[in-house]
Amino acid sequence: MEQETEFWRWTESRWTNPNLNWKGKVITSGVDVGSVSSQAVILADGELYSYSNMRTGSDSPDSAMKAINWAMEETGLTLDDLTYTVGTGYGRVNVPFSQRAITEIACHARGANFIYGPTVRTVLDMGGQDCKAIHCDERGKVTNFLMNDKCAAGTGRGMEVFADLLGISINDVGDLSLQVEKEPQPVSSTCVVYAKSEATGLLREGWPKNKVLAAYCSAMAHRIMTLLERIGVEKDFAITGGIAKNKGVVIRLEKEVGMPIMKTDYDTQIAGALGAALFAKALVDKGRK
Amino acid sequence: MTEPHIFGMFCPFCRDCLAQGLKNRYDYLDGLMIAQSCLHIRQAYTSWIKHRPVEFDKFLCMPHKVQSPHAYEFLTEEYKVFKNEIEEWTGKKINDKDLENSIKIYNENRRLMRELYNLRKRDNPPITGEEVMEIVIAMQMMDKAEHNKMLKEILTKLKNHTPDRQVGSRLMILGSEDDDTVFMNMVENCGATFVIDDHCTGSRYFWNEVENGKDKLASIAARYIDRIPCPSKDWEERKRIPHILNLCKEWNVDGVIIMQQKFCDPHELDFVAIKKALEDAGIPTLFLEFDVTVPIGQFKIRVEAFLEMIGEEDLF
Repeated sequence: MEQETEFWRWTESRWTNPNLNWKGKVITSGVDVGSVSSQAVILADGELYSYSNMRTGSDSPDSAMKAINWAMEETGLTLDDLTYTVGTGYGRVNVPFSQRAITEIACHARGANFIYGPTVRTVLDMGGQDCKAIHCDERGKVTNFLMNDKCAAGTGRGMEVFADLLGISINDVGDLSLQVEKEPQPVSSTCVVYAKSEATGLLREGWPKNKVLAAYCSAMAHRIMTLLERIGVEKDFAITGGIAKNKGVVIRLEKEVGMPIMKTDYDTQIAGALGAALFAKALVDKGRK
Repeated sequence: MTEPHIFGMFCPFCRDCLAQGLKNRYDYLDGLMIAQSCLHIRQAYTSWIKHRPVEFDKFLCMPHKVQSPHAYEFLTEEYKVFKNEIEEWTGKKINDKDLENSIKIYNENRRLMRELYNLRKRDNPPITGEEVMEIVIAMQMMDKAEHNKMLKEILTKLKNHTPDRQVGSRLMILGSEDDDTVFMNMVENCGATFVIDDHCTGSRYFWNEVENGKDKLASIAARYIDRIPCPSKDWEERKRIPHILNLCKEWNVDGVIIMQQKFCDPHELDFVAIKKALEDAGIPTLFLEFDVTVPIGQFKIRVEAFLEMIGEEDLF
């Protein structure tokens, strides 16, 4: 019963590479403790071996532990097998078993470089409570970046609030928002609180849910565009983070940017942890402690 | 506190000044004066003296167009009026000897500060940016002769001092009024050192000296007219940008943090040109808008990412 009232609850996941045996290889990991979600990525000799993706709890060290334990589940790996771990994200200094903390800005650029390839020049990380536009070079090294200011308007958390308000599973929000004959005017504010009261008003006026969602997704795309305009979008353009899975925002953003957004089969939420694990590998290779 | 008196879109610095005045935190003051700098602080001043009257108040009309050929004479005349007013209020004459003595003390203070700043050119600066900010704050509040005495002691100690700390990236910080030592400390604990600044409450306050000419007031006026300008007075020729570029070169700066006082329009306007000039010179910049309510964590991630961007080749 509880599940039906928690529409914001997105699907947690884990994955192990079936074609890889970690034994005898250098194991490095990256743990991204975000404000909304946490991920752990494990690499064997620099190849993606396993990952987990779950909700962040109220306690950062605990969330980091849960994420890594889930990523190691049924692999035979233990914490002792991890040669080097880099923590990243909002709780980056609270990863108990890590040797170093690196910002999620650097990690997402590096992760996007792995996921999308070396042609990526602009990465948009749409996270739970903030949004970052990043420029990077062919190695995935940051050359410039911009973060949204101070508030969480137009981020994953805002989308969760909307899913809950409308009683629609967060996984369906994007598709549903695209089922409109004519694109409605975007809600006038992406501030979660203001947008919520505006949406309540629209529902009272008799707007169907999909139209309200379209108005919100469109406002979110618009807001992200203002961030991108400040830094500029260079080809190729890729998105990481949870909102990359929301077609309602991505397709609208693609139109605004006027440039194709790169596609991938990877889980876009693991980009930060993946970048952290790749940095861990580089640090091991260079003999850093 | 200030809401009924000045606008909400006035900078937090002047709102804070006025709030403290209205809260009687400066009730020991006999007089209050201000020279024209910007509308925000000027209206904070007019509100202050209206609601918390003091024995002596003065608005000094510093010319806004300092590059006008009439500026020197105009300001000299303003100083004459001001001097008369002070003499009348205190009942004490100010003669040329007094002025000369004061100029000497002030100039010595400026010279010692330049000496201190020059030490920061070293590969391992003997003093952090946070410590320098403390010294500058003290400089603006305490007796100059006393400050000189302490500065000399510090300089002697620092001459052969090599601190045991990682210098990391050499940074410049620039902006307007900034006494945020907590921010300085945070950055300098992330693998960086501030080696130079361009702040109203920093180098711009003391950079040039009064040339001790025959007419003392004219000499003081010339110093204020010719000083490194703040953005509100930096026109038509823009003198601040070449100055900033020169500081970057001389102090061997790796990156610049631009601290934008929220709602300070002249500085925000200048930022665009400064950023371009610095980037053309190959110096990366980080723009941060600060307010009294910004939690340090939000700045920390931006600063760390900036430092990773300008350094950390090890990761690749």
